[in-house]
Amino acid sequence: MKPIVFAIAAVALAVPAAATQVGQPAPNFKLNDADGRTVSLADYKGKTVVLEWHNPGCPYVRKHYDSGNMQKTQAAARNDGAVWLTINSGAPGKQGHMSGAEAKALVAKEKARSTAYLLDPKGVVGKGYQAKTTPHMYIVDKAGTLVYAGGIDDKPTSDKADIAGARNHVLAALAEVQAGKPVSVATSRPYGCTVKYPES
Amino acid sequence: MRAFLFALSLFWIGLTAPAVAQLPGQKAVAVELLAETNAPAAGETLTLALRMTPQPGWHGYWKNPGDAGVESRIDWTLPAGVAPGPIQYPVPQTLIIAGLMNYVYEGPYVQLVELKLPAGLATGTKLPLRGKYDFLACTDEICVPQSAELALDLTVGAPGAPRARQADFDRYRQALPKPLGSEAKFETANGRFRLAVPLPADMAVADPYFFPITDGALAYAAPQAVSRNGDMLIVETDAAGQTVPLVEGVLKIGPNQGLTLTARSGAVPAAGAALATGEAASGGSTTILAALGGALIGGLLLNIMPCVFPILSLKALSLAKAGGDERAARREALAYTAGVVLVCLALGGLLLALRAGGATAGWAFQLQDPRVILLLLLLVTAISLNLAGLFELPQIAGGERLARSGGASGAFWTGALAAFVATPCTGPFMGAALAAALVLPTAAALAVFAGLGLGLALPFLLLGFVPALRRMLPKPGAWMARLRRILSVPMFLTALGLAWILGRQSGVDGMAIGLAGALALALGLWWVGRRQENGLGWLPLAPAALAAMAAILLVPTASAPAEAKAKDMLGAEPFSEARLATLQSEGRPVFVYFTADWCVTCKVNEKTALERSDVADAFAARKVAVLVGDWTRGDAAIGRFLEAHGRSGVPLYLYYAPGRPARVLPQVLTTGMLTALPS
Repeated sequence: MKPIVFAIAAVALAVPAAATQVGQPAPNFKLNDADGRTVSLADYKGKTVVLEWHNPGCPYVRKHYDSGNMQKTQAAARNDGAVWLTINSGAPGKQGHMSGAEAKALVAKEKARSTAYLLDPKGVVGKGYQAKTTPHMYIVDKAGTLVYAGGIDDKPTSDKADIAGARNHVLAALAEVQAGKPVSVATSRPYGCTVKYPES
Repeated sequence: MRAFLFALSLFWIGLTAPAVAQLPGQKAVAVELLAETNAPAAGETLTLALRMTPQPGWHGYWKNPGDAGVESRIDWTLPAGVAPGPIQYPVPQTLIIAGLMNYVYEGPYVQLVELKLPAGLATGTKLPLRGKYDFLACTDEICVPQSAELALDLTVGAPGAPRARQADFDRYRQALPKPLGSEAKFETANGRFRLAVPLPADMAVADPYFFPITDGALAYAAPQAVSRNGDMLIVETDAAGQTVPLVEGVLKIGPNQGLTLTARSGAVPAAGAALATGEAASGGSTTILAALGGALIGGLLLNIMPCVFPILSLKALSLAKAGGDERAARREALAYTAGVVLVCLALGGLLLALRAGGATAGWAFQLQDPRVILLLLLLVTAISLNLAGLFELPQIAGGERLARSGGASGAFWTGALAAFVATPCTGPFMGAALAAALVLPTAAALAVFAGLGLGLALPFLLLGFVPALRRMLPKPGAWMARLRRILSVPMFLTALGLAWILGRQSGVDGMAIGLAGALALALGLWWVGRRQENGLGWLPLAPAALAAMAAILLVPTASAPAEAKAKDMLGAEPFSEARLATLQSEGRPVFVYFTADWCVTCKVNEKTALERSDVADAFAARKVAVLVGDWTRGDAAIGRFLEAHGRSGVPLYLYYAPGRPARVLPQVLTTGMLTALPS
């Protein structure tokens, strides 16, 4: 078990330390997925990419998975040709950290529709993108520009009942990107639990 | 494998019910709803308290939770006409977990909500208050959204009845931040967010921190550098990259003490003397270089300041006297430079040591002690008299001999003197470099002080090492003696300035003692000069030096603040409603004013309008009583009185003519307005 964990931990590469801002090129990164394969953002050049920061134990993540809202959003994005990368930046030993096998089991159980589940146990990519909460959502357009950063919607609660009346910022932004329009709400305040980074 | 199974089991527990897993059968944060009275009167504003008691290891969140977390919310279900206000939060704490900033409460805390009750409710009417309170509770590891059902049943009571929990609620209100009153300014440039908050220079501030309510203006986790530039407190930190029209927030200025403020975009002055904040400030190499450059230029400029130039000229004269001796010139230049740099380093090191000890000392701190001023006064007087030709110092009298041998030590001490005297000359252009030095790591800060010294010594250094420059110096001759006499004039003026500062600091008595000491020294030096003509020694200086030392010991060090005198002048008493009622019943006119140490408007009014002898005379003529309410610590009785007069903060100026209701005066006072009051 141990060597695999170390191998996963070792492949967090190539994220510049500078702040990532909407309207600027999204920094490339390489991470291992739940199966141990290396996935790079550059692999998806020419496609719209959604990044979702994830922690299975966070109640705000649970709100969107238990209600099926996150899976629905993932399916809608992928049906439109977008790529969806779910990233876990939880450090080993902290709440929400998962091994590849655990992640696979979770994805199967929750019927998650993401393209890949990526493990970032050192927090390098999370910190590079300044991901602060779970969930924290980013959209990279076909040209590789970051066009959205923020929360999944505009109701910062843990109550499933609030999903019905909320504006889904990700779906709205994806529709605008699809239509070739600028993203009207390009940033919003992310809400949820803190990303459980390793103590530096 | 065991580790994997363990992790998996933890993961499943986390997945199902983290709160239950952590705390079987109890809430992470206990919530209790209380009213100031259970029998409020119709039409009044009732205060409710949400008493929050986190379990050990848990924390609740401030209005702005920081990098993550969510704001608390209450969904009220209230009787018709009852209007709830927003949640009022006490001053929070910072908590950084793995590089993310959280604005939290780690111990018990109380949030307040005000309810406006409709008028015309019959006594005995039941008021059922219900609400759903959603908030977030976290440990360093996990977060659990909490939901509390709020329920409280009140009955409308008689107006003016005592409030059962008033004392407790007064304590809760004291913990809330107070409105600053004046407007702050902020600017964002080159990735830095800078904030200027008007705060009187003499207001003590402990462990300051700016908690922003507006999101996106500044980077929460970045360290904040706090400094003071006169009546401005400057907060500097990293910007978060968004453009915002205004920034709201709370400035913490002490334990459980804070000021709510709104900042508009505008010019922010340069940073001043740094204040210690909770976290160690750090500076990049560019900051160090910029500070070093600033210090060098600042030091260079100091050479033309009237308090340094005479000393520099003095030394240049002796160098010119040295004639063509290249080695002596270099040696003197280096010795002078060493003297300047070492004194700058010593002063800088002392300042840093004081700061490390928690003292809020600024640059030129050594001039805040009247004894140091007096010492400087005596020194400058002696130098002036020497320049004027009353007596000769052996170094200078030695002429050729000193240029050959003792010149180096003479030059060293001249340099040291120049550096020490130069500190009061550090004008505004030095502020930025020095402030940067104070937030830099100690070694880098000392490098900046050394840079300052090097700048000061630079012209002399050039003179010593570039013979061409020295050749441009006129040949020594009779003109030198004349020039020396002329140079004594700015030095005498410096002495006059120092005497004035001494007077400002320790009053007329202190100044008289200081001048007496200077006179004694001058008489002693005069005598020395007379004896020198006959080839005799320095003996008479001993009693003169003793007299001067006595003056240093005698000078009153406790500064006599003008404010205290003015308060005495007006015969002001501390405010209480009972005292006000007594004075009114005596038929006396009463002037009441409310102030706080952090209120710049209040201080300006006190200095420019209130503490004036014509106001005191006008008040005394009509026997106007003066009451002062000091709200610096958020006194609850004063808070209630302010509220009753429709104010959420200070200043408030009231005038009670006999038998008349209170007249509210404008927030900007003039002497004319005040003297016209009693008539």
